[in-house]
Parts: sequence; structure tokens; C-alpha cells
Amino acid sequence: MAHMTNPLATVDQLYRRTSFSALPSDLQDVIFFTTQCLTQAAGILLRIPQSVTAQANVILARYWLVESPLSHEFSDVSAAVLFLVAKLSSHPCPPRDVCNVYAYLLSPGSNLFPRSNDASGPPPPAQHDPSSYYLSEAAYAAFHGRILALEGRVLHALSFDTHVALPHPLAITYLQALDFLEQPRAEMARRVVEHLNAALLSPQLLYLTHQPHALAVAAIYSAARDRGAKMPECAWWEVFDVDREELGFLVVGMRSLEGLVRKQRADFEELARGTMITRKFVEAEMKMRGLRFGNGSAAADAAEIDEETAMMLSMDEKADTMEQ
Amino acid sequence: MASKSRWADTEEDAAQDAQRKREKEEKKRLKAEKARKAEEEKRAQAEAEAARQQQEQQEKEQVENDANNRPPAKRRKVTPGREDGSVAEGEGGVEEDEAPKILRFEAGGWGPAHSVENYDKLNDIEEGAYGWVARGKEIKTGKVVALKRLKLDDGNSGAGLPETGLREIQILKDCSHRNIVTLREVVTSGGPQRIENVFLVLDFLEHDLKSILEDMPEPFLASEVKTLLRQLASGLSYLHDRWILHRDLKTSNLLLNNRGCLKIADFGMARYVGDPPPARLTQLVVTLWYRSPELLLGTETYGPAVDMWSVGCIFGELLTREPLLQGRNEVDELTRIFELCGVPTDESWPGFRRLPNARSLRLPPKSASSVASGSVIRARFPLLTSAGCALLDGLLALDPTRRPTARQMLAHEYFAQDPKPKQEAMFPTFPSKAGQERRRRRDTPNAPGRGQQAAVDLGSVDFGGIFAGREKEERGGGFSLRMI
Repeated sequence: MAHMTNPLATVDQLYRRTSFSALPSDLQDVIFFTTQCLTQAAGILLRIPQSVTAQANVILARYWLVESPLSHEFSDVSAAVLFLVAKLSSHPCPPRDVCNVYAYLLSPGSNLFPRSNDASGPPPPAQHDPSSYYLSEAAYAAFHGRILALEGRVLHALSFDTHVALPHPLAITYLQALDFLEQPRAEMARRVVEHLNAALLSPQLLYLTHQPHALAVAAIYSAARDRGAKMPECAWWEVFDVDREELGFLVVGMRSLEGLVRKQRADFEELARGTMITRKFVEAEMKMRGLRFGNGSAAADAAEIDEETAMMLSMDEKADTMEQ
Repeated sequence: MASKSRWADTEEDAAQDAQRKREKEEKKRLKAEKARKAEEEKRAQAEAEAARQQQEQQEKEQVENDANNRPPAKRRKVTPGREDGSVAEGEGGVEEDEAPKILRFEAGGWGPAHSVENYDKLNDIEEGAYGWVARGKEIKTGKVVALKRLKLDDGNSGAGLPETGLREIQILKDCSHRNIVTLREVVTSGGPQRIENVFLVLDFLEHDLKSILEDMPEPFLASEVKTLLRQLASGLSYLHDRWILHRDLKTSNLLLNNRGCLKIADFGMARYVGDPPPARLTQLVVTLWYRSPELLLGTETYGPAVDMWSVGCIFGELLTREPLLQGRNEVDELTRIFELCGVPTDESWPGFRRLPNARSLRLPPKSASSVASGSVIRARFPLLTSAGCALLDGLLALDPTRRPTARQMLAHEYFAQDPKPKQEAMFPTFPSKAGQERRRRRDTPNAPGRGQQAAVDLGSVDFGGIFAGREKEERGGGFSLRMI
């Protein structure tokens, strides 16, 4: 059954995330969503199949239930997880490629998050500025080192369990069993896969709380609603071992993502300016709200690492500026 | 229960039964009275007897009570049926709708890895190609386990943790079968900040087949070979059913405990495959002596059949206590294969000429090969039954598509024939090497290392001479006693 089931988050893990984290939930959500988007974009640029990138999304979400998102830079975690999952798949990518892609995506010209027109802030850089994502040797070495350290850390936090079962193949099988609800096959399948991929980005952690078969059924239900397809009149989801309540919850969860993201864009001007959310931004935001950055242990951890690497980093940066 | 419910089904029966009980009771009472009369005559004896009688009586009464209690219970069972039949038929239907049978899948959760400090090291077992294995004891439970340390790259290569080790962990975590070694957990040393070492905590088994074979004075009995092979095939069919190729089966990777249970270990080469098999798999897998001809000829798409070839080599080794095909290098290995199994022809292995390294092969001319190129498996194993020979012949078929699958192998008549596979519990025991301080010797070559250069081109190799001396060999004739 291993290829059809996932380990699920415990109630305790979810409770700790919502109740004990120093991070306000809206910040937590925006960090989650933007980082998962970043992972997806990097997967596309690295030409990694979605089946691998999606696993990276799930692993990242699991990791953040064990360790606070604040303990490391978000883009570093994203890169480390993608590197790790790709390495274990049949589509490994060299660390150099990963570093280059992330340097590009984090540069202002990458268009990772489309700018909205009325955004304030500095004007967008000239059309195409390669120097903005040039990765110096020192910067590469530093980034590479951070990725490798984080790789070990992620594996440790998950006790080396990198198994992820994705709902996509199940969804296609279910669609076949339902005869594609008498819709054009390609379109119906695409819509279902779209729903499943969107759910990867949802801060509701749907992939951590529900088994793949339930996600598959919910995506089919949503897609059928989108296309006005006629579904069987009986409780067909029960055939696929999903009960009504679970289905309802998942469908609402999947469909609420769009609204959530719209709200995020309105709330955070950083997003509207088209740049990735960074730890620095979160820190500033929390200070503005009068909150302390990081909770006890996570802060200590981060500080410990920083002491070691801060020196190196500052030297790297100096080297960078001298080179340029 | 079934018979009881039959007699208790009707009221009449119950009544009759009760009457019978009452009659018996009467008799008992009469007997008791007699006993009391006897008691007057013989006091000492009678007291004990009376007590016994009383006890009996109590028991009988209890039985009666039970019998009296039972009918209402039965009636209760009957009533819902009646209601179902007459009144509440709809309700039953509704109930079915309310509680549909829904499967729930449990797959656990996740959390940080534990520290290796939870284990005491007892002694080293061996140093293999992919790491170091020690016997250890879990401090909390006192359970003896094997600790396998993953070799970590020292950071020079810049690739982080080795994917072979991570794949091994992932595959073992996904497997649960009695003939596959169990991964209990993965522990680390150095803490989350900086992982120094990664240890796999595995079941500890006393032996590996390799060292048993080296040390045993007499080969395994036919029944014992069957037990071992059947367990190997059963574990392997589990793996292949789950799309896992082991890719390094050999006797030193097969562990045996003192209760005759065999477990497949060392998944450092294993990986998941799909159907169709992924293109461009590395052919640098499987220890040379157990490597199949298609791998030696450089195929890039292969499947479970490479494992089945290794099983064939292990089969031969179990019979003779010697590795079957001990080639010194790739070319020598191929030579030995062709000597044993015959030279491939377009009939015996259609399409082998298209394999990358086969183009430059110079095989013995057809005329010579027609006599001598047949398989000599039958002659090499005179003591093997014909069913056993057929199985070995199938496993060592040059053409991978002709090898049986692990599942087919399990159903082979070889296992059904006498002598039957020996019960595991009856398996002989051996002095353990792993439990002692001594390290295991390692005579088998190791599986090829990753990133090693594949023997892309065997060069133009001349196999023309491999059967040169063969005509002089004595053939046919002779017989030997079969030992079963």
C-alpha cells in the first residue's frame, strides 16, 4: 500500500503550529504559499517533472511542521528540498543548476510573482539585466553549503522518510472508472490535475492531512463542478473510500485558495511588488506589529548557525562587491 | 455452538431439553440419597463422596441455569429477524446507507530522527562497500540489532548525502516482508545542527549465507536448498511486485538467522522502476559473478530478470558451496557464462546482437557450436533432480525474457517434488561469526561503485576458442547415486 498512502500530520503537530508558533497565522500562510510557488517555479526552470516537484512541496510542508519556518531562509529550504527530492528521483539535477535557478528566481527581474500595476516602491529594473542574477563563485559556494546543511537537517527532521504518494495517478484512474463523466477527456483530466497542483500550494496543508485517494476524489468533484459535468446521483465518492464530510472539507479547502491568495496580495505589498518573501521582511513585519522574532529554541538555533556563517557570509559579500 | 443453536432454536426443543435435564437431576438426587444411606454406614468415606456429589449437583444446576438462561438469549437473536421481516425492513436499508464501508489508510506520521546514543555498540561485523556494520544493543529494550553506517561523502563531491544510501532507506521503509530485512529506524550522531553519521538500525541476523557456505563441511541437503530458495523467491517476488529491483543479489547479501529464516539485505543498489522500464539505467550494477549476460553486454533497459539471473547463480552456489561463475573481469565472466549456458544464437536469444557490446563479439562458428554450445548445466549438476535442473536452466537462460519471474519460480514443480522443502524450524544451526569479534572475510568482489566508468566497450573479444578443448572432455556415460 506504500505507493498509495502517506504519513499524515498528527493533531499535536497541527495544534502546535497554529497555537504555539510565534508567527501570526497570516504571515505563516504567506510564507508557505510563496515558498511553494518558488519551488514550483524552480522545478519548471530545472525541467524537473511535476511528479518530482510536487513531492518536494509535500516534503517541505512536512518539514515545517517539525521545525519553525523562521529557523532558515525560506528560499534556501525550498532549494534544499527540491535538490534532495530530485536527487532521489530519476531526474537528479546538479547543485550548480539549482543555485543558478534560485539566484535567477530571487532576482528582481524574474517575474516570479507578477507585479500589480499600482504597486509602489522602486521602479522595475531595466527589461533584462543579467547582472542581477549573476552568481559569483563565493556566493555559489555559500549557497551550496547552505543547501547541503539544510538537506541533512530536513532529512533529520523527517527521520529520513522521504516517501510521498501523490494523488495524480489515482485521480486519472478514478476518472477512467467514471468514464470522465462524459466530458472531453483531456480537458477534464487537465482540470483535475490543476486542482491537485493548486492544493499543493494551499497553506491548509491538505496533502498532510488527507490521503491521496481523498484528494483525488475532491479534485474530480471540483473539476466536475467547474465544467458542469453530470456526476452519478448516488454517493459515488464512497466507492473510492471517501465520506461526504471529508469530501466537503477538501472541496472547500481547494476552492478557497484563490480567495486566500487574493487577500494576501492585498495585504502584503511585498507580494504586489513581485518579490519573494524573505526572513528579513517577516522580521520587519513582526517588529512593526510589536512581536518578538522567533520563539526561544528556534531563535537560539538560528543564532548558533548565524554566528558560524555570518562571518563567512559577510566576507563573501565583501568579495562579491570587490569582484564587481 | 452451531449444534447448540440448532436445538435451542425452537421453544419445543428447549422445553424437551429442560425436561431431560430435570429427569437427570432426579436420578442424581436418588443417587445422592443412596450415597447418604451409604454415608451412615461409612462416615469417613462418605463425607468426601458427598462433597463430590454436591459439587456435581452444583455443576448440574449451573448447567440447568445456563440452559434456562439461554432461550431468552436465542429469542433476542430471533426477534430482530422478525422485525426485519415485518416491520423495520426500511430501517435496515437506511442503516446500510448511514454506515458505508470505507477503508481507512494508516501510514503513521513523521518526526525527528533519534540519536545513536540510544544504542550500545557490541562489536563490528563487517566493512562493506557501502559502509560499516556493527552489532548493537538498544539500551531501552535490550534488543540486539545491526547498525549499518552509511558512508557519507566528505563534502568534496558536493552532492550531499549519497543517494544510494537514501534510496536504500526509502526502499526498506516501504518494505515489510518476512524475507526482507526490516529497517527499524534511522538514527544519527551529531545532532540536527550537523549530522556526522547516519545509521540504519536493522534486524540482527546471525549469519550470511556466504560465510556459512564457506565453512560448512557438507553442502546443504536438497531439502534445505529448497527452503532457502523458496524464501529467496518469496522475498524477491514481493520486491518485484512493488517495482523494486534489488540489483545486487549474492550470497553475502542474504542473511540467515538461527531459526532458518532467510532475509534479503543490502539495498544499496536497489531502485524503483516502472513499466516500461526507465531508459538509461546504469549497467554497472550487480557484483560481477552474479551479473547477467545482458548487463555484461551493456543493455540500458533491463528489468527484474537481472535479479532472476543472480538467483540462478545463487542456486548453483548453494548446491556446490562455490560461486558458480567466478570471472576475473567482464570478458572472462562472459566467457564462463557461455561455457556453462552455451553460446547465444538468434534462436536462443533473439536480438542479442543489437546490445551495445555484442556487436564486436566473435562467437565460435556455427558448425562447431552446434555440437558443443549447448548448456552443460545438466552435466555440471548430476545430483540435481530434473525439475531442479529445469528451474536452474530457466533461471540461467541467456535471453532475459525466458527467465521465470519470481512468482513463476515459486510455483515451480521443483518445490512440490520430494524431498519437500525442510521446515525452517528444523534447519541446522551454525556457529555465528557476526556475534563474535571476528570480522567477516570478504572474498566476493564488491558491487560496482557509483560513478565508476562502465566498461563501455569490451573491445573486439574473441570467444572463438572457448570450446577448443571441449571435444576431449569425457561426455555422457557414468552415473552417480542420487542423494536426497
